[in-house]
Amino acid sequence: MASYRLNIMICAGTGCVSNRAFQIREAFDKEIRKNSLEKEVLTVMTGCNGFCAAGPIVIVQPEGIFYQKLTVKDIPFLVEEHFLKGRPVKKFMYTPPKETEPIPKMNDISFFQKQVLIALRNKGIIDPEAIDDYIARDGYAALSKILSKMKPQDVIAEIKKSGLRGRGGGGFPTGLKWELARKAEGEQKYVICNADEGDPGAFMDRSIVEADPHTILEGMTIGAYAIGASKGFVYVRSEYPLAVERMHNAIAQSKEYGLLGDNILESGFNFDVDVIQGAGVFVCGEETSMIASIEGKIGEPKPRPPYPVEKGLWGSPTNINNVETWANVPAIILRGSDWFSKIGTKTSKGTKVFSVAGKIKDAGLVEVPMGLTLGEIIYDVAGGIHSDKKFKAVLIGGPSGGCLPADCLGLPVDYESLTKAGAMMGSGGLVVADEDNCMVEMARYFLNFTKDESCGKCTPCREGNAAMLDILTRITQGEGTMEDLDLLEDLAHAIKDTALCGLGNTAPNPVLTTLRYFRDEYIAHIKDKKCPAHECRQLNTYTIDEERCVSEGHGCDVCRRNCAYDAIMGEKGKAHRINQDKCAKCGVCYEVCKFAAVKVD
Amino acid sequence: MVKLTIDGKKVEVEEGTTILQAAEKLEIPIPTLCYHPLLEPYAACRVCMVELKGETCKLVPSCNTKVAEGMEIETKSERAVKARKLNLELIMARAPAAEKVQELAKEMGIEKTRFEIIDPDEKCILCGLCVRTCEEIVGANAISFANRGKDRMVFTPYGEPSEACIGCTACAFFCPTEAITFEDIHKRLVVHEEMELGPSTAVRVPIRQAVPMVPFIDEDSCIHFKTGECKICERVCEKEAINHEMEDEEIEVEVGSIILASGFKSFDASRIPAYGYGRYENVITALEFEKLVNASGPTSGKILMTNGNEPQAVGIVHCVGSRDKKYNEYCSRVCCMYSLKFAHLLKEKTNAEVYDFYIDMRCFGKGYEEFYHRLMKEGTNFIRGRVSEVTDMPLTEKEEGKLIIRVEDTLLGEIRRIPVDMVILATGLEPGIDQNEIAKVFNISCSQDSFFLERHPKLAPVSTFSDGIFLAGACQSPKDIPDTVAQAGAAASQALALADKGTFELEPITAVINEELCAGCQLCVSLCPFTAINYNAEKGISEINDALCKGCGTCVSACPSGASQQKHFRDEQIFAEIEGIFIE
Amino acid sequence: MTHENFEPKLVGFLCTWCSYTGADLAGTARMDYAPNMRVIRVMCSGRVDPQFVLKAFKEGADGVLISGCHPGDCHYQEGNYKALRRHRLLSKLLEQLGIEKERFRLEWVSAAEGAKFQKVCNEFTEEIRNMGPLNLNGGIHEQAKA
Repeated sequence: MASYRLNIMICAGTGCVSNRAFQIREAFDKEIRKNSLEKEVLTVMTGCNGFCAAGPIVIVQPEGIFYQKLTVKDIPFLVEEHFLKGRPVKKFMYTPPKETEPIPKMNDISFFQKQVLIALRNKGIIDPEAIDDYIARDGYAALSKILSKMKPQDVIAEIKKSGLRGRGGGGFPTGLKWELARKAEGEQKYVICNADEGDPGAFMDRSIVEADPHTILEGMTIGAYAIGASKGFVYVRSEYPLAVERMHNAIAQSKEYGLLGDNILESGFNFDVDVIQGAGVFVCGEETSMIASIEGKIGEPKPRPPYPVEKGLWGSPTNINNVETWANVPAIILRGSDWFSKIGTKTSKGTKVFSVAGKIKDAGLVEVPMGLTLGEIIYDVAGGIHSDKKFKAVLIGGPSGGCLPADCLGLPVDYESLTKAGAMMGSGGLVVADEDNCMVEMARYFLNFTKDESCGKCTPCREGNAAMLDILTRITQGEGTMEDLDLLEDLAHAIKDTALCGLGNTAPNPVLTTLRYFRDEYIAHIKDKKCPAHECRQLNTYTIDEERCVSEGHGCDVCRRNCAYDAIMGEKGKAHRINQDKCAKCGVCYEVCKFAAVKVD
Repeated sequence: MVKLTIDGKKVEVEEGTTILQAAEKLEIPIPTLCYHPLLEPYAACRVCMVELKGETCKLVPSCNTKVAEGMEIETKSERAVKARKLNLELIMARAPAAEKVQELAKEMGIEKTRFEIIDPDEKCILCGLCVRTCEEIVGANAISFANRGKDRMVFTPYGEPSEACIGCTACAFFCPTEAITFEDIHKRLVVHEEMELGPSTAVRVPIRQAVPMVPFIDEDSCIHFKTGECKICERVCEKEAINHEMEDEEIEVEVGSIILASGFKSFDASRIPAYGYGRYENVITALEFEKLVNASGPTSGKILMTNGNEPQAVGIVHCVGSRDKKYNEYCSRVCCMYSLKFAHLLKEKTNAEVYDFYIDMRCFGKGYEEFYHRLMKEGTNFIRGRVSEVTDMPLTEKEEGKLIIRVEDTLLGEIRRIPVDMVILATGLEPGIDQNEIAKVFNISCSQDSFFLERHPKLAPVSTFSDGIFLAGACQSPKDIPDTVAQAGAAASQALALADKGTFELEPITAVINEELCAGCQLCVSLCPFTAINYNAEKGISEINDALCKGCGTCVSACPSGASQQKHFRDEQIFAEIEGIFIE
Repeated sequence: MTHENFEPKLVGFLCTWCSYTGADLAGTARMDYAPNMRVIRVMCSGRVDPQFVLKAFKEGADGVLISGCHPGDCHYQEGNYKALRRHRLLSKLLEQLGIEKERFRLEWVSAAEGAKFQKVCNEFTEEIRNMGPLNLNGGIHEQAKA
């Protein structure tokens, strides 16, 4: 096994890749060749580092030096300075805002400090396409432990003791689910990994699959052993071709090493895994729809009971767990349930991967212990609100989640607290909204998604979501009435009460939480026909402060030139005015005016 | 057994029962739309929601939630009612033209829907009953849902007529809102069952007047025999009287006399292509017209053409397949009278002009001639001449869109073209299809035209040459009902007389086999036309059954050993006669 | 050989149901026909054994007639067919023996056909008259004498 002086870990998560991470690697390789460093320096493409706002990211090991926002042009200088001369380059490191000195090591950066990596323990450290890397990091040790020392019931007991709960959003105790599956009658049992991740913008599961596919396989094998299943499926959405590829690759490698397939590790235990690709339907992230999809039927939910653990795929007991849940399993088995249960809160053990996005400074992927407050995540880990604007709300759980206001920033992140507040842990999507976000529009935006993805089987979700969207759209366009508001609330409750599956049950959550915490915004839209956040442009009135236009801007005429509707009158040097009749409320003049002379109301 | 409470009332039901079924037992009504007792619950309309009380009160669909011990259900709680009403309002907006939904809305006190109506003519409520029927009951899987969300609809693969569809119309039957209908692909409104066009119910009684009034399963229409599924009839029959696996049984009965009344077959009018039967929709046979005019027929007795309109002119053509060297030379006896009946009915039920094309008018019975005269007074046009053809090719404007009957009017001495809307062919009577096979089985003969041969045309009209086998009805010769009834009575009494006599007259001139001379060659056995000779394997000789032997003497002349001799016509006696002739 | 004053001796086997009744009808209808036919009644033409025909010729018949019901009408179903078959075979055999086939005749006379019976008798008689006597017994001696 070759040993290198330096390992260059290049982040190949989506963001970094779209910022030319592969080209950066090529540049490195070129420089390395140029300087004859092939035997000393190795470049490795790793999974998503998580600090996406700082991408493209490169970490130089074993020193652990963290470089961010690299471009191809930077590479020759970096190689020369750091690899040849041994001088890490400060200007490529991360300097926190309001500070002058950069922080060279990754773990000293605030984004990473509060994170505890379990599911993502291997991210950025291994080559996801090399099973040897995974094994070197104690990979498959848990599997060999259970196959040699533990009985299936013992495995289930351990998982139960650990307090692991389903990370897909439901939060159902995993150990209990496994126990039910084990008890269920049936010769053939199945385990499925839910890698459908339909939430728009969410990429937690994707990161895990792309960064560390083997942890999922190991977790599934352990689960299959515990339940008594001999066949597993990884259901990946087709929109993740890299994840699909990495999974196929991992399966092939595992089989080669005898860690998957027949007679695993000579124990007599057989378990095989196939990859199934989704077909672009959000509802297939729901258990019964996913099962229907795998069976080749229309992706539509079936009423439960019977639950899949009793009667699932092809009528057999089936245990479905989320990617993140599976990823936790090998760590729990290896390090013990005691260790795991010490992390997190009383009812929610362990960690949770969140993708933090929206009006945040340091957007990216984080894994934090349960119990950390929302405020800590948003401000300490993610750096606070972008441009230092005012925090307004955080939406947790994607389109199925809820919008929580500033009052809730002190809420600990755990299943019960969030549900009580009207939101949902969900799969871990965190979207931060600031003062410029209209909450009505936010609800409308998410409802648009769920309405589109409704399978159409049950009345409330199919018709109700569309009706709610109708009302919300009218409200954002200034055509809503107070009766609409009542109807909206009634609809939301009815849909939540009567929908057939989780999609319908949770689709009204954004509506209900925004009504609960931001009702004033709705009323402003309806009664005043105004959008307090100015996001609903149709309701805005743009005017020019003529005094300011002259005194500050000297009638620069920029706004008039940029108005596509010929709605601004004025001459250069003189005060300008907006003709309200022609104004289309596109807001361009507001954006281009450098002197804040354009007012919006 | 599981005990639960619904609306404060206690009920005990079997495990596995749903809340809806338990409520039914208590006669508590819960509205449903997508539920049907013969199908697996679908729980999609969400109109049957009830409130399940407990630690966490929640709404559950009553159609598919199974009861649990100690469950407390409220069917009319505010929460449940509100949710139900809202869901129904949503459905009202989707399918405003669905009557069932409007009825339900009225029951629930909803006047109108607050939601946007996109298609005011839409009837489909996406309850899935049609799709589930086609999948679960029929087993054809010809239709399914397509698109998702608001665009969801019932569809066939690629929108093309589904190849898997067996045309059973079960989907239309289960549809609660008439969103699915079926129609004849030729858009005919009147379809004659005899023409075997259009679906007929698989389980039906043969005719309204059938005795016993027991329905039968028509294998050709039955879904089970097409797809292997369904068998709904079996499921719902409380008496368990249905068995799809029933096979034909062969039963052996020993009897002393047999009456053959196997009836007749109608002449197949398509054998005369010139008349256009089978080509022109409105050319029908007499039996089809009988069905049409009958109150239990396809039009409940109204005389209509296939496009649903009343005919303005009707032509009745006599002697179709009868009195014709090319088909049957004999006269079918009944057609003239039933044609007159048709003419009368047409005059009674419609304002149509009636034309009757005859060769002779055979009104031989009681009151028959008088009926004929009455018809002449009613205004039926009688034209004497054999119709040569029925065509739809018009020569004048008046003939456009009509069927033209071309005939030589022998009284006028002219060839005429008569335009009509409907043509009724007075088809004759023919022997049944298997007449000759039956004759062989019963060892009777048929006459030249294949009707069964009676023993004597004048003196023995109901008996055959085989003792104990009698004839009645049209299998012996075409005849109408009074004659048939008379003949049937005669045959019955003769059969009874035979049974009643207690004694049986034998022919004195039967043949006898001399046991000592008989070598057992069995030549006589095959020759006897009355199967009166049996070979006795034990004794090694043939024996004649005195009761069956008619005394024809065939076996006698054939017997090589002279063992068989006919009483009173023995060889020696005949030799003596021959000798006697030549004594000078 | 002289044919003058030769009166043919004809034997006819008539079936009871059709031919005999037909002959009966000819009689009751007072139809005139040659008296040369001597009738032997049998129940069915199928009863007629070839031996009868041979016996008749042996005893001195110049012509033999078998008459039965029309095909298909046999009172005993098929007896007349058997008579037909036997007639054909026997004719061939008789020819071998020197008996012309015209002397052995098969006819179908139904119960209503009195006229036909009359015709058959007259025609048969004339035909045999023209042919001359069969003279089976002692025929050779006569020739030898002549």
